[in-house]
Amino acid sequence: MRKIGSLLSRNQRFIPLAATALLAIIAYGVGAILYPGMRDLQVFLNIFRNNVYLLISAIGMTFVILTGGIDLSVSGVMALTAVASAALLREGWNGWAVILLMLAMGMALGATMGGFIAYLRVQPFIATLAGMWFARGMCFFISDDAIAIDARMWRILGQTRILIPGLADPHTQTGKFVSIFMVVSFLLLVVAIFLAHLTRFGRTVYAIGGNEGRNEQSARLMGLPVNKTKVLVYTLNGFCSALAGIALSVFVLSGHGLYANGTELEVIASVVMGGTALSGGVGYVFGTLFGVLILGITQTLIQFNGSLSSWWTRIVIGALTLMFIGVQSLLAARRRRRGGVKVTDAAARAATRKRRQVYGGIAVALVLAGLAIALIAKPPQGGLGGNAATPKSSACQLRLFRQELAAEAMQAGAVITYERNGGPDCIDEVYAIFPDGRITGDDGESKIEKQATAEEVELLLAGIDGLGWFTDEMYNTWHTPCGQCYGYYLTVSYRGTEKTVQGVDGGTDAPADYWQVVSLVKGLVPRFTATP
Amino acid sequence: MKQPRFALTRRKLVESKLFFPLVVLALILLFDLLFVRGFFSIQTRDGNLYGSLIDIVRNGSTVALLAIGMTLVIATGGVDLSVGAVMAIAASVAAVLMNPYVLARELPPNLMSLINDPTFTFQPLWIVIGVTLLVAIICGLWNGLLVAYVRIQPMVATLILMIAGRGIAQLITNGVRIQIFYERYSFIGQGWVVLPFSLYLVILVYALAWLLNRKTSIGLFIESVGINSRASFFSGIGEKRVKVLAYTFCGLCAGIAGLVASSNIMTSDAFNIGMTLELDAILAVVIGGTLMSGGRFSLLASIVGAWVIQAITQSMYAFGVPAFALQAIKGVVVILVILLYSEQVRGLLRRVSVQKEA
Repeated sequence: MRKIGSLLSRNQRFIPLAATALLAIIAYGVGAILYPGMRDLQVFLNIFRNNVYLLISAIGMTFVILTGGIDLSVSGVMALTAVASAALLREGWNGWAVILLMLAMGMALGATMGGFIAYLRVQPFIATLAGMWFARGMCFFISDDAIAIDARMWRILGQTRILIPGLADPHTQTGKFVSIFMVVSFLLLVVAIFLAHLTRFGRTVYAIGGNEGRNEQSARLMGLPVNKTKVLVYTLNGFCSALAGIALSVFVLSGHGLYANGTELEVIASVVMGGTALSGGVGYVFGTLFGVLILGITQTLIQFNGSLSSWWTRIVIGALTLMFIGVQSLLAARRRRRGGVKVTDAAARAATRKRRQVYGGIAVALVLAGLAIALIAKPPQGGLGGNAATPKSSACQLRLFRQELAAEAMQAGAVITYERNGGPDCIDEVYAIFPDGRITGDDGESKIEKQATAEEVELLLAGIDGLGWFTDEMYNTWHTPCGQCYGYYLTVSYRGTEKTVQGVDGGTDAPADYWQVVSLVKGLVPRFTATP
Repeated sequence: MKQPRFALTRRKLVESKLFFPLVVLALILLFDLLFVRGFFSIQTRDGNLYGSLIDIVRNGSTVALLAIGMTLVIATGGVDLSVGAVMAIAASVAAVLMNPYVLARELPPNLMSLINDPTFTFQPLWIVIGVTLLVAIICGLWNGLLVAYVRIQPMVATLILMIAGRGIAQLITNGVRIQIFYERYSFIGQGWVVLPFSLYLVILVYALAWLLNRKTSIGLFIESVGINSRASFFSGIGEKRVKVLAYTFCGLCAGIAGLVASSNIMTSDAFNIGMTLELDAILAVVIGGTLMSGGRFSLLASIVGAWVIQAITQSMYAFGVPAFALQAIKGVVVILVILLYSEQVRGLLRRVSVQKEA
């Protein structure tokens, strides 16, 4: 026991990092036990694939936070990069030139904010807040609407699958794969670890942060280039934000000024969960990887659960951030106690007791909050499909989705299948559209049929393709449908590719074009008389 | 003998916190007078006043309310980033209290008609307002406890509620954008008694804050905590309690602002209500001359700061600048204002003026 204690006290600085790694592993383990789907290695890889921009941005943010600063402008710079690159690509610019220009722009913005912070002594969060406003505002000077990206280079960057040797079949191009930007982000991580721990720059960064600004004073007195390092750190973060913006635009193949709204919070939360102290001076770039991982696993768990709505992600992340900050301040307090002036025993004991009371109070509050959340989040009775909604006053029983019916229709040669489930009458309708214009519908009790022309079907397919159905802009979303809401499954097969996207109306999470596609399809399919 | 006295009064005027925001407001209004036609015309309808100037006051009232609370928090040397999220929570609570049936999937027919009945409310209005403000106060209290007793940096402590708050708001409304039909509720944001009702709310909250700060010693305590928290502690000021009070009051202000905002659009939109308003509130306080590092503050100057922001916004709208693009201009303004107040620039100005005199 004493051995463990001494081991812990000797390696105290690794405790937050170890806690993060442990938490990530436990969270993933729990998920893998509960949801067999999560055991798939590709699901694990997708956690990184979907959050690659978060990781890139969080790496830069780690440096900023290590100096005791903060950068709220990352999301703005990301959106600006996405919009500006989309606009330039639309003008026919060369892809490489766009990338270089965007990175330069990000660095220039970062350097400007860093200059304000280091030389004019503006508080970091005010300077970067202004930077965020500026960047987001500029997006709308460039374009009010979303600009689609059609450049070949962006498609290649986004859709190339780098197959993992041994886990994939190179002939059929199937199996486990990673994306180009995943590789880029991990290279960046390696470079960042090198920068932080093996260069003079990194040592200065650690020297500046922490101890409520007193370390910065010491660093200045030691003759370290504090101002220069600060500007460099914000420049580095500008670079990372721009790179993250490019990754984002490659991921969604478009640019709009409202993209990445609130991402700065997720980025900061990942860094904090990665064990970096927000006061600066303590933490590891490597830990940030785990912070991003925890965030991604939380999202995946909530997606797999199905009965939890997407906003739970934010609540859980808020709670986790609080927990990690609590751990940090606890450790900081212990450090202070050990390193500080000797106080009399009685006073020390009183202080400890008081601190224990405070932490005890917080712990009790957290446990209560957890219990409350568990009670609220308990899946309502009768929702076997995991898609049940508002528990109270539900007069009708939600039915299960019948995707097997849709799959059968696709096998039989249908080009579009469309399933709508829920609503005030708890309906479940499956429609199939065939290339010759035949449309069938099935609501579980009766069947319906309609004959449209083959041209209409072809037009519909082209329209759906034109709305970007087969791009990454169309992605699955799910939250608990409200009482009047419907859940949708829409499968489209066009020119040899097939893709299914699910969504729920009544929220803001699904891609906007998804509803356009749904309304296009709705316009063609016949209606059951019972449902409006 | 006369010369220095005159210099003293001039200096007093220039160094007053109200001076700068009022000058900026006057400049913007002058600009509007010259370039925007009909900006100053005010009509009367049913004894109520309407016009662009009134719009500035009315639309600026949410930010003004937030700015009052934010001033106190910033004066203690902290900052509250969660006010926007607290607004969303308040709006959601109010909407659910007025019409919980919207959330139900299937209703008996006798209740169905109540959903969009303008005279129906589930709870009487005073309970709606009371509970909403209570929830907002609890949010503020939570921030205050984290900052004062757990000793988390203010920015970080309030960041937590900023992240989780919108999630909580969506949880309350089950992710639905609840439309509010209750007619009397609309009076809070859209009512007029000669002047917009929300202006009276601002005045009421200001009066409350003024009494609290200038007729009791709390204002002095807040300033002393902001200037030097440790020294205040040693001189016997309960700096923790002062901080908790400031954050709690800020939560209350955010709650009132949430009521005004949701009553304005008669919807509780957990995702959009109060979005980025925390930034506007901070900007208003900064324009009002309260230093971000804490210390001396002026509530009235912050309110004028809020109107300055609204006046800029309104003038830009008159020129057809899109709403989102305005953010870029706000960003530049905030940096300029901060630089104007910063030690470096002040020192430079002082040196220049000394050289001139010499």
